[in-house]
Amino acid sequence: MRTNYQHLVANPVASMPRRIKILKNVVLIALTIIAVRLFFIQIIEHDAWVAKADEQHTLLETIVAKRGEIYMMDQGEPVAVALNHTTYQIIIDPAVTDKDGIKHALETYAKDYITANLDEVYNSEGLRYSIVAKNVPRDTANKIAEENLSAVWFQKNNQRVYPEGEMASGLLGFVNADGLGQYGVEGSLNNLLSGKDGLLKATADVNKVALSIGNDNVRIPAEDGKNVVLSVDRGLEKGIEDLAMDAINSTRATNAAALIMDPNTGEVIAMANLPNYDPANYGAVKDASAYINNVTEVPYEPASICKSFAFSAAINEGVMTAETTYFNQGYEIVDGWKIQNAEQRSSIYGTIDMRTALYWSLNTGSIYALKLLGGNPSAITQQGREKLYDYYYNKFRLGQATNIELIEAEGYIPDPNEGWGRDSVYANMTFGQNLGITMIQTATAFSAVINGGTYRTPTIVKGTLENSEIIEKEPENIIEDKILSDDTSAAMREMLIHNRNYKVRGGIDKPGYAIGGKSGTAQVVRDGAYDDTYAELVGSYIGFIGPEGELPKYVIMVKMWGEGQSIDSGEAMNLFDKISNYTINYLKIKPKV
Amino acid sequence: MHQTYTTRREASNSFARNRNTVRHTKKSLGSISQIVIVSMLTLVFGLIYVAEGTKATSFDYEISNVESEITEMNAKKDDLAVEKARLNSVAAAKNSTVAAAMEDATVTGYAD
Repeated sequence: MRTNYQHLVANPVASMPRRIKILKNVVLIALTIIAVRLFFIQIIEHDAWVAKADEQHTLLETIVAKRGEIYMMDQGEPVAVALNHTTYQIIIDPAVTDKDGIKHALETYAKDYITANLDEVYNSEGLRYSIVAKNVPRDTANKIAEENLSAVWFQKNNQRVYPEGEMASGLLGFVNADGLGQYGVEGSLNNLLSGKDGLLKATADVNKVALSIGNDNVRIPAEDGKNVVLSVDRGLEKGIEDLAMDAINSTRATNAAALIMDPNTGEVIAMANLPNYDPANYGAVKDASAYINNVTEVPYEPASICKSFAFSAAINEGVMTAETTYFNQGYEIVDGWKIQNAEQRSSIYGTIDMRTALYWSLNTGSIYALKLLGGNPSAITQQGREKLYDYYYNKFRLGQATNIELIEAEGYIPDPNEGWGRDSVYANMTFGQNLGITMIQTATAFSAVINGGTYRTPTIVKGTLENSEIIEKEPENIIEDKILSDDTSAAMREMLIHNRNYKVRGGIDKPGYAIGGKSGTAQVVRDGAYDDTYAELVGSYIGFIGPEGELPKYVIMVKMWGEGQSIDSGEAMNLFDKISNYTINYLKIKPKV
Repeated sequence: MHQTYTTRREASNSFARNRNTVRHTKKSLGSISQIVIVSMLTLVFGLIYVAEGTKATSFDYEISNVESEITEMNAKKDDLAVEKARLNSVAAAKNSTVAAAMEDATVTGYAD
């Protein structure tokens, strides 16, 4: 039998073109796929791929502007009270970082900055990221970095530092975790202090080092924030804060606020809010009201202090002098309400003059001034209300923001004609009730009363510090308005000094100085009416100091209060006495020889 | 009789000396030479490009290092400013042992 093996023999000539054909087709298909893919990548998805490439090769960074520093004055030189400091957060990967190594490094160099329990961190399963220390100073971070531990990162932070600690915290405010100024100067001047961030867009290598190659590189430098110089004197600020804190500790008051300003320029040289808080650790504050600057942000009723304004208005209108007399019966009935004097001693009943009325702070006296303003000594009239409103709101600018460079509340002055019981409302306004005004408004208006009659916008920013030189601030929106005559101002100074004659006799006010003042004890409104039980009172005192025979150099105002506590003006006056003497000594105000 | 003769060789040389022959040959580079030259040129230009690029990049690293140093120095300056401010703070002065040992002032001088 013959076997045919022919089918087992390869036919190279016949099979080669077929294999090549298959290979050719495979290559063609592959090329087609590649071409289609390239078409999609380069045409259809072009923008997305360009963006992806840019992301890998482009460094896009915000150049953070350095926050401006805040300065106070000390012996004519600016001293920093808010600066910047670079600190680091230390982050570890517990799965990689050597536990003993990092523990030893942290405990050796950064014990005070450890924020996590390392045992707990290492016992947490699956944890790959843990912040173990915060606010670590640069030198300390460098020492830990030198240990060359694996998977330890140092995240840079800009920290605000307040070298004076808690001092003037209510005035300065703080900077929050996002770098935004909050409250106080930090909040009100945030834009000036922040500056303007810059931008860096550049081609970068794998280590994100910016390279000069590339066509779209952009570098916009940051504009650092301005260094702000306050007119506040650091030593005086510390001194009055200590005195105010002593006053709180020795009375039932839980809070105190104080202000010293130059009545002739409007420059504030001290502003205290007690108790203070630590602005570098602002989160520890339990009650957010501690952040509030009571001098500018809280309208209140300064009570009898306002008699200075009502009396000034009547004297300036030429309808009253210090010698004008009226009959004091101890009370007045207005709109059916009995308004009494706080002082009910028999010796001041009957016909007394306005100087005596101011000395004893008689409500009947200030109501009489309102009657005189209206041209009718026996009744409160529409004209009287409108004139008082004109003085309070338009001239003394009470109930309006003063435009000081701080966060301010406006407060309110009731309309002279709209609403029920206008006469009683306006009678109350003469002794500082039924209205809402801030301490800075009160002190600015009082400055006009005693400085010769000129209202000046208060200011607390002296200028900016550039290359160790103070660039004086350009006056902006500064009001200088002669609202009272020289004679009115002189008459008011005389009466206010008369108020404190017994202080001179008592040896509290030093001879050779002209020190005048006015007290105010305000009732607190409860359930829509004044609390006649006097369970809670707010005590205030305002006054001026200067050499005898000269215009006053400084106006000082203090306020003391406590929730549920009856703080009368006597306690505020005691604090004023201490502050006025401290200020005279500290500023070396020369007495009349 | 003097007979002159010319050797065959001489005659042949004379002929060669007086012959003016020109040989025309087409001279051109071979394809391999062309590839080599083009490759070499490409390599040279490539090297120049890379060298320039590297030079620019090395400056960038230098700039980056200098900027890091500036940042470090500024951080040190800030640290020192903070330290100075803390040392000069009123609280620090008040709590100092030197201040504690001081007597209260009893005489006040007045500025004119």
